[in-house]
Amino acid sequence: MPQRRRLDTTAEWVELTTTAADWRKADPALLATMLGQLHLIRAFEERVLDLAAEGLVHGPAHSSIGQEGGAVGSIVSLRSSDAVNGSHRGHHQFLAKALAHVAQNGLQLDALVTADIQTVLQKTLAEILGLAQGYCRGRGGSMHLQWFEAGALGTNAIVGGGAPMATGNAWAQKQAGTTDLTINYFGDGAAQIGSVLESMNLAAAWKLPVCFFIENNLYAVSTRIEEAVADTRLSVRGQGFGIPSWRVDGMDPLAVHLAMEEAAAVMRSGGGPTIIEAEVYRFFHQNGPYPGSAFGYRTKEEEEEWKGRDPLDRVAREMIKRGLIDEAGVASVRAQSVAAMDAATAELLEADPDKQGRRRIRPELWPDPEFVNVGVRGDGSELEGMRVLEPSASDAARRPMKFVDAVAEVMGRRMAEDERIVVLGEDIHRLKGGTNGATKGLADAHPDRVLGTPISENAFMGLGGGLALDGRYRPVVEFMYPDFMWVAADQVFNQVGKARHMFGGDNPVPLVLRTKVAMGSGYGSQHLMDPAGVFATSPGWRIVAPSTAADYVGLMNAALALQDPVLVIEHVDLYAEKDEVIAGDLDYIIPPGTAAVRREGSEMTVISYLSMVKHCLEAIEQTGADAELIDLRWLDRASLDWATIEASVKKTNAVLIVEQGAQGTSYGGWLADEIQRRLFDWLDQPVQRVTGAESSPSISRILERAAIARTEEVVAGIETVRRNAGGAR
Amino acid sequence: MSTTIRMPEVLANVTEAAVQKWLVAPGDEVAVGQPFAEIETEKAVVEFAAETAGTVLELLVGEGDSIDVGAPIAIVGEAGEVALPADPAAAPAAEGSGGVAAAAPSDPESGAPVLEAAAPVADAAAAAQTSAGPVEATTGAGGASAPGEGSGRRFVSPLVRRLAREHGIDLSTVTGSGPDGRIVRRDIQALLDGSAPAATPAVAATPAPAADAPAAAAPARPAQPAPEGATVVPHSRMRATIARRLTESKSSVPHFYLTADCRVDALLEMRAQLNAGGQVKVSVNDLVVKAVAGAFVDVPEANRTWSDEGMVIHDSVDIGIAVSLDDGLVVPVVRGVEGLSVSALGGRIAELAGRGREGRLKLDELEGGSFTVSNLGMFGTQSFSAIINPPHAGILAVGAASARPVVVDGALEVGQVMTVTLSADHRAWDGALAARWLAAFVARIEHPLSILA
Repeated sequence: MPQRRRLDTTAEWVELTTTAADWRKADPALLATMLGQLHLIRAFEERVLDLAAEGLVHGPAHSSIGQEGGAVGSIVSLRSSDAVNGSHRGHHQFLAKALAHVAQNGLQLDALVTADIQTVLQKTLAEILGLAQGYCRGRGGSMHLQWFEAGALGTNAIVGGGAPMATGNAWAQKQAGTTDLTINYFGDGAAQIGSVLESMNLAAAWKLPVCFFIENNLYAVSTRIEEAVADTRLSVRGQGFGIPSWRVDGMDPLAVHLAMEEAAAVMRSGGGPTIIEAEVYRFFHQNGPYPGSAFGYRTKEEEEEWKGRDPLDRVAREMIKRGLIDEAGVASVRAQSVAAMDAATAELLEADPDKQGRRRIRPELWPDPEFVNVGVRGDGSELEGMRVLEPSASDAARRPMKFVDAVAEVMGRRMAEDERIVVLGEDIHRLKGGTNGATKGLADAHPDRVLGTPISENAFMGLGGGLALDGRYRPVVEFMYPDFMWVAADQVFNQVGKARHMFGGDNPVPLVLRTKVAMGSGYGSQHLMDPAGVFATSPGWRIVAPSTAADYVGLMNAALALQDPVLVIEHVDLYAEKDEVIAGDLDYIIPPGTAAVRREGSEMTVISYLSMVKHCLEAIEQTGADAELIDLRWLDRASLDWATIEASVKKTNAVLIVEQGAQGTSYGGWLADEIQRRLFDWLDQPVQRVTGAESSPSISRILERAAIARTEEVVAGIETVRRNAGGAR
Repeated sequence: MSTTIRMPEVLANVTEAAVQKWLVAPGDEVAVGQPFAEIETEKAVVEFAAETAGTVLELLVGEGDSIDVGAPIAIVGEAGEVALPADPAAAPAAEGSGGVAAAAPSDPESGAPVLEAAAPVADAAAAAQTSAGPVEATTGAGGASAPGEGSGRRFVSPLVRRLAREHGIDLSTVTGSGPDGRIVRRDIQALLDGSAPAATPAVAATPAPAADAPAAAAPARPAQPAPEGATVVPHSRMRATIARRLTESKSSVPHFYLTADCRVDALLEMRAQLNAGGQVKVSVNDLVVKAVAGAFVDVPEANRTWSDEGMVIHDSVDIGIAVSLDDGLVVPVVRGVEGLSVSALGGRIAELAGRGREGRLKLDELEGGSFTVSNLGMFGTQSFSAIINPPHAGILAVGAASARPVVVDGALEVGQVMTVTLSADHRAWDGALAARWLAAFVARIEHPLSILA
């Protein structure tokens, strides 16, 4: 008979309820502010549903009516420098944070709506209606509300998508030496998604001041909590990660407030993350002005029972009990809130001249359609004044150096010069510079800024995104292999890539993502892609792909200085190259829009990047082609050197785009498309391309070679161009 | 009985002409052979003599009006006779029923008139201007095959399509060597080389018929509106002709080029002596033309020109002289140069050039010949190559004589040197023949007494 000993986690897990005594000793000003916020939020969201019913809200309007107690109770005492982010259902948290920011001394119930508050209500409503005066210029709408100054980091339409970025924000708060904290709000439906669980783990491992606030409203759209999890007490998650957790009645704003006070004390004192689970109930369906019972997944009786626990009534009742307000006073708070919404609505709507008795958006308030692409990325003006050096044109003395050492050296140089730079990734702090030596020496020099991460790409990519949005630090994230971008795809493409534009175009996302193409290394189908094509066709990202060590220095310096997310692609074949850098100079940049012509010629234009540049040179030599070889260096739509490409194509009238990887996700597809549209009348033949095979490279050496392009495939490509040139040669 | 006088075909293949000036008036009596009108064609203004005696009853066209060759221009009859209407068969087609439809192109399949409304105006205008065959009918109705293409679509690379449009190249005669017969750049490279836009301003600035630069004036469609600040001046008939003929020449005659430096100290000395005595001044150009004739005497087999029917062997040396006009040029032909003295030749050239500048050359003075001389030496041009003036077999481009270092018996000295460039039609001349002819020319120039002999 084996011996069995019961194990317990060391994490606290408590249920917190208020007593009559708690209500009696609660600060009257706190209660008044909570009552005022609850009514303002309620009136606001009722108005949103009214407008939705009139067909004036484009897209879904996820109301939190019924759930306001969780938001108000947890936010009412936060600082402006504390931060929140949330989910698709985030009006209440956004408004609570904004109201706390503009009314830092609390609300006066007899003069509830100040000018600042009126502005908050109107700007928030305008954003939900998609109007130019909204917080995000109408881009974000109901699901992407951001007001940085108020500490509202941005709500998120991807379930669980905000957790990694909240964790990143908390890392910045901690690293900066503050006692500020961050709350990430999400619902019961997100409590078992990977991003959230990865973030909980990362925050616990690194003791970051972030609260994972679960609004358990029992339904993920129509799927009831019992159908989704075995233990419906979702705060149980803390037990798995060593995070202290509170379970609290979210319909009792004071209980939420008290729980948050305890949790904040943990977070502000360096105790790491916390979890608060608030049981709440949305009175309406997932979105729109109808109750959930209308859709048959719950009963009217259940809804009536929860409505009996309305947090607005609860606070009013307790305040009346203490003589802090009377019924007429409560009615006045309600009336002031509704009047404020009438005023906000009147600013945004007018009678529709075409439809009797209907209203419409005032036409002049819509954003200018010309604004559609503004802010997909920055304009690069941050590079102005930086020292540009073109290595291929410089006669400065050289220093022999392996390519991979240049990778580590330039990062070491920048980290020494710029304390904002933080490097994070898997095993980058060990193994003498990670799996390839690309971070050699960094951890020894800057142990607090070189972060070996758990294997959770979504969490640490999103943590980098949170750092970038916060702006105090410059994250450099490493993906050990490019294919891992699929694991972290939400954070890479939905969050980091879109954040600037989606939230209005102003708040930059300066982040560098390093990864290495490893075709030829035998790592097989799931490790050997070239990510350039996928990033080039996704919004927001800039891309560099250096073919020499000296270029790497200048391109990485530019990437680190840019206010945009930049993918830096490296290649294992280049790492071992005996290359050279400019002696004593690791500080220049190679700006966007500067390709390098590696060879001049008139017969055809060969366009390539990264390790394939060398294969192209070999192939040109073998074939004797008088080819012009362009090394792109900058690959994305905004940074591509069109002038060089156009001048070359106008000279040669023939194009061969060369890359190594698989056809499907290849880079050359979009470039060929651009070239044929921009330069159609200059082309004497189709844009020709060299790529790998359709398949991903296999582990078998022979099959891997067959799946990728090297010099032999470029030779074949050159011959194809020649055949298409016709004539007798 | 009155006689209808019709617009004469004053030059072969000229389809329209204008009365520049009437030399008679209604009521005038005219005799056969009496100058009747000055007729302006693309090429020249020629005098048209009356072929019928009688009284001029009516002039049917105004001065300067361009009409088709063969159309009535005047009626001559007996005094007092009433002019009958001109031959109705020659009446403008628009007067006949259905004339418009008959004149309009029709779709080969449906027979319906082709509606050009869908085509860009510029393209339609260009199509009308293009005298050659179907220029890659990209704007044709519904993208149907161009006439003569057979059932298959002609494949043309985008680059070639654009270049053909810009240079007025007829792709229907080009065979494609790209995949599936696609016409690619290489297939029209030669045509492009001959007509590529050059920086040289225009033919008008030179006296040569053939300064190697006329393509900018080629009959390409005006694909682009004039740039801001520029204006478009309609082409004169002469300008259009220069453009058409030189484009045809450069793109259809296989030119090849030989260059020689001639030591001309002796030539210049001889000219000085000639001019010191005689009343007639002899120009260097007169001596050059005479030397050209001498070279043909020395190498008589070179005096031949290409025609599709066969090689034309000439029995006299007839040489075209390029004469510049204010805006254009003409090439009158001096016949029998080998038999003329230098002074007679000089006088003849001066006389022809003078009338050429006045637009008063006769038709037969512009036709024939086997060779052209174009001299830009008086402008200081050192050397150039010229475009052959069909049907001539060659053209000699003559530069300025200037003092240059020369090596004589291994020693450097200063000599007067003139560079000439021969453009030859490879269909008529081979390289060796051209070289022999050029050597004969140089020998004559460098031993100038042989020019006089």
